[in-house]
Amino acid sequence: MAASNTVGDVLRANGVSRRGFMKFCAATASMMALPPSMVSAVAAAIDSAKRPSVFWLPFQECTGCTEALTRSHTPTVENLIFDAISLDYHHTLMAASGDRAEEAMYEEMEKNYGNYLLLVDGSIPTGDYENYSCTNGHSHLSMLLKAAKGAAAIVSIGTCAAYGGIPKANPNPTQAVGVQDLIKDKPIINVPGCPPVPTVMTGVLAHYLTFGTIPELDKFGRPMAFFGQSIHDRCYRRTFYDRGMFAETFDDEGAKKGYCLFKVGCKGPVTYNACATLKWNDGVSWPVQSGHGCLGCSEPDFWDKGSFYRPLSAAYWGDAKTVGISAAAGAAAGLAAAALARGKQKKAQQQEEQA
Amino acid sequence: MNEGLYWQGMTLLDFARGPAFRWSVAIFIVGVIWRLTMLILAKRKRLEPPKGAPVAGGTKAVATRSTPPGELYGGLTTLLTRSAPAHELEKNIVFQHYSGYAWHISMFIILFLGTPHMLFFADILGFTWPTLPGWIITFFTVITMGILLVLFARRLMNPVLRKISTWDDYISWVIAFLPFLTGFMSVAHLTPFMDYETMLGLHFLSVCALLIWFPFGKLMHALVIWPSRYKVGAAFARRGVRA
Amino acid sequence: MSATTIPDYGTLGQRAAAGLKPKGLSDEQKIARAKQAFIAGIDADMATYLESCIHCGMCAEACHFYLGTHEAKYTPIFKTEPLKKVYRREVAPMRLFNRLTTRDITISDLEDWKELAYDSCTQCGRCSLLCPMGIHIQSMIQVVRNGLAAAGMAPAELQAVSDEQRDKATILGAGPDRLREAVERVRAQGIEVPLDKEKAEIMVLSSALDFLKDEQLLGATARIMNKIGADWTIRSDGFESANFGALSGDKPAQRRISKRVIDAAVATGAKKVIVAECGHAYPVLRWEAATLYGKELPFEFLSVSEYFGQESKAGRLKLKKPSGEVSHVTFHDPCKLGRMGGSFDEARELLGAIGVKLTEMESHGRTNLCCGGGGGVSMLQSADKLRKAAFELKREEVERTGAPTVVTACNTCLQTLEKGKQWLSWDKEIVNLVQMVSENLD
Repeated sequence: MAASNTVGDVLRANGVSRRGFMKFCAATASMMALPPSMVSAVAAAIDSAKRPSVFWLPFQECTGCTEALTRSHTPTVENLIFDAISLDYHHTLMAASGDRAEEAMYEEMEKNYGNYLLLVDGSIPTGDYENYSCTNGHSHLSMLLKAAKGAAAIVSIGTCAAYGGIPKANPNPTQAVGVQDLIKDKPIINVPGCPPVPTVMTGVLAHYLTFGTIPELDKFGRPMAFFGQSIHDRCYRRTFYDRGMFAETFDDEGAKKGYCLFKVGCKGPVTYNACATLKWNDGVSWPVQSGHGCLGCSEPDFWDKGSFYRPLSAAYWGDAKTVGISAAAGAAAGLAAAALARGKQKKAQQQEEQA
Repeated sequence: MNEGLYWQGMTLLDFARGPAFRWSVAIFIVGVIWRLTMLILAKRKRLEPPKGAPVAGGTKAVATRSTPPGELYGGLTTLLTRSAPAHELEKNIVFQHYSGYAWHISMFIILFLGTPHMLFFADILGFTWPTLPGWIITFFTVITMGILLVLFARRLMNPVLRKISTWDDYISWVIAFLPFLTGFMSVAHLTPFMDYETMLGLHFLSVCALLIWFPFGKLMHALVIWPSRYKVGAAFARRGVRA
Repeated sequence: MSATTIPDYGTLGQRAAAGLKPKGLSDEQKIARAKQAFIAGIDADMATYLESCIHCGMCAEACHFYLGTHEAKYTPIFKTEPLKKVYRREVAPMRLFNRLTTRDITISDLEDWKELAYDSCTQCGRCSLLCPMGIHIQSMIQVVRNGLAAAGMAPAELQAVSDEQRDKATILGAGPDRLREAVERVRAQGIEVPLDKEKAEIMVLSSALDFLKDEQLLGATARIMNKIGADWTIRSDGFESANFGALSGDKPAQRRISKRVIDAAVATGAKKVIVAECGHAYPVLRWEAATLYGKELPFEFLSVSEYFGQESKAGRLKLKKPSGEVSHVTFHDPCKLGRMGGSFDEARELLGAIGVKLTEMESHGRTNLCCGGGGGVSMLQSADKLRKAAFELKREEVERTGAPTVVTACNTCLQTLEKGKQWLSWDKEIVNLVQMVSENLD
């Protein structure tokens, strides 16, 4: 554990210049749509942030969220901030492990009771399958319930923690759920994505550090600043959608020319995230730019909404079998109706002929 | 039937695009085939020779019921010619005649030449075809809705239409109108009191409603018009008259 | 050349109606019988039509009764409402659903529809040509009449004459006796009339309605037949073209009446039966008689104008052009011979052979506007006002041709056009095609 007291100390200790730090704060402030006058407030807040007690609990996850955040070529300010603030507990990253690490975590939680920030990634198995995901012999469900008690707020990192994610997909063999399905009495910020955009994760934390409040959330509990607009509305290929120029397959002329990917299954119109503007890997690229349609990974149940390659407008009309059975049923009912009607007709005609 | 399509807490759009649509298509197919069995009701065998058939009398019996190609030709040509009746017959209702066809043609442009719609059919048929840019489709949608509204007003005000209209006409109008309205509002992101996904979900649901209602009301005319035109064409051709 | 030969059908109808014995059915019985007749009449084709209506109202624009009055109830498809309701509730594939949504027919429906099926429809078929869905409305009106007649609710005038014709083989008292009288009078003019030949190639029909007043038309027809040199006869046991069973909708009567003609023709060994100039007679015999009879017929039915036109074209009937001024005429295609019969060219062939200046009306040939008198309507005095209103359309079209003479080939049309002259104080000359031909024989 570092000896420094504030985030600012940590950053300076790691050679981050004032200039570099201010650049980061300016970018963060503008991401949160704050006026330039607020930049210094942000800087002051982060600088003096007293290494807020932050606990990161990874549950039934693939570690992708952690990877996204930490996997980079050069240490970024994000990384440093996270290093500074999440030292208290992150079982994947921290050196210590086992009972002693866990004990230390609960001690810190007691010390900071009511004030600490709880970060969660991964879904939580429940019911008969509670024990399918454990750390140090304790189910993640029990860990969550215990840790949530003294938290000031919870941030669900990644779609799994937010909504259940991939483990929850049909048939949900572990009865996995997201944090908001279990914790009802604490403020929860969902930062979904599979994984979330790293800059988004930092931005949310920066907001909390700066203002000590939950940012404005949408109907799915996601910060409006990053999840308020659809991919479609910010996509750089939008012109091609409007003009009707599409890639038909992944390697045709249209694909090579960078046309719209609606026809190969892009879910951009109904997906809300910051990928189209902030992009990934410090703004290097994002799925559409790389030629693959948006999967909709920041939406609840995105895995169950059907094939990633099925266009959004292709509703589920059924299949040949269903059509066949329906046709047979209709024919059977119709033939019966016709047979009965013909009987009536014949009878009436006979009576008429006899008249 | 809903396997893989239903999950707890699904959104309206997921429901509309998934189980709702699948059931609607099933009901549609059951209903349409059921209703089309009116074609196999008892037929009257007609014993009179058609016009132009070989003269009766003598030892040779005359062909009964139909003498192709007279009736076949008359029936098939009427499928198309009935869309353009003799001017002296329809000179008072030219507006109704043309506006009716105008909005239908417009509808087919939207339905088959709109990219999202084409993709829906392509999934069923297995092949795609060229489509028009979105703004052209939006243009036609506005035209379609405009004509439909005018015709609706006409139905409410014209004495003949008031006499013969039933609730079926009004329900079918609403059900036919809603996909255009919800589609337009989705594309234009005009979504009062709701978000885009809900409006899009309503668009899918409006099509579900259309599919479900189709076999029961007058929307079925889209299918029965063909045998009906054929039969009147054949009936008149039998008498030696162009229908 | 004008038709003072034709009596006023309306007056005759009233006289007959006075003698009608009511059937004495209860309301339930009437409804049941009507329903049964409807169900018997709905075949697969008619079911298709009944499923197809989209309530567009275009058919009204083809109907002379609607166009003359602009009363919505005369919309052609509306005239079939009771039939539609019974179809939807009893026969339609979706009848279980329809029963929730379609009312059953009531006795007042049947009463109200009497006017619509009889007074305001001549079964001219013009609506069937216009309907965008291809509904053959004309064919359905007959079934509506069948239902009403089965319920004993056909107009008294028509039912009375139908009963008389079915039982006594006479129309308004005129039968074989009157035929013989008329034949004698024609013979007295020096025209040969082979009556009751045992065998003949051609059997000619006439109508009591023709010679009720005098024998001019019979004489004209005989002259032409003799000029052609055909082996023909007219049979007192089967001479009547008109079929009041068809007009009233009384199907059993219709069958029995047309059987008389068939039996006579079979007995004569005729190859052709020429139908007199009576409108409905032609389609009833040509298009319905064999099916009702139950067997294919060994002869063909031709209308008078059809036959003469064919003979003229083949050169067997020579006509001479008139000396002096060429008449300027227009031709009124009888609905039952033209649109519902398929014969347009033959009449024009005759006019061409005679050598008249023909100006066609805007609606001619298959789109011809009905005169408003066919289908028994001319016998219903209750329909007088309607016919007068509808006739305005005909008048307008005739006047636009500029022709002072209207030629037609159906006696009901003739009578209606004559009546029209009275209504409008018109100065047009109405001419019967057969009489015209007989006066221009070469």
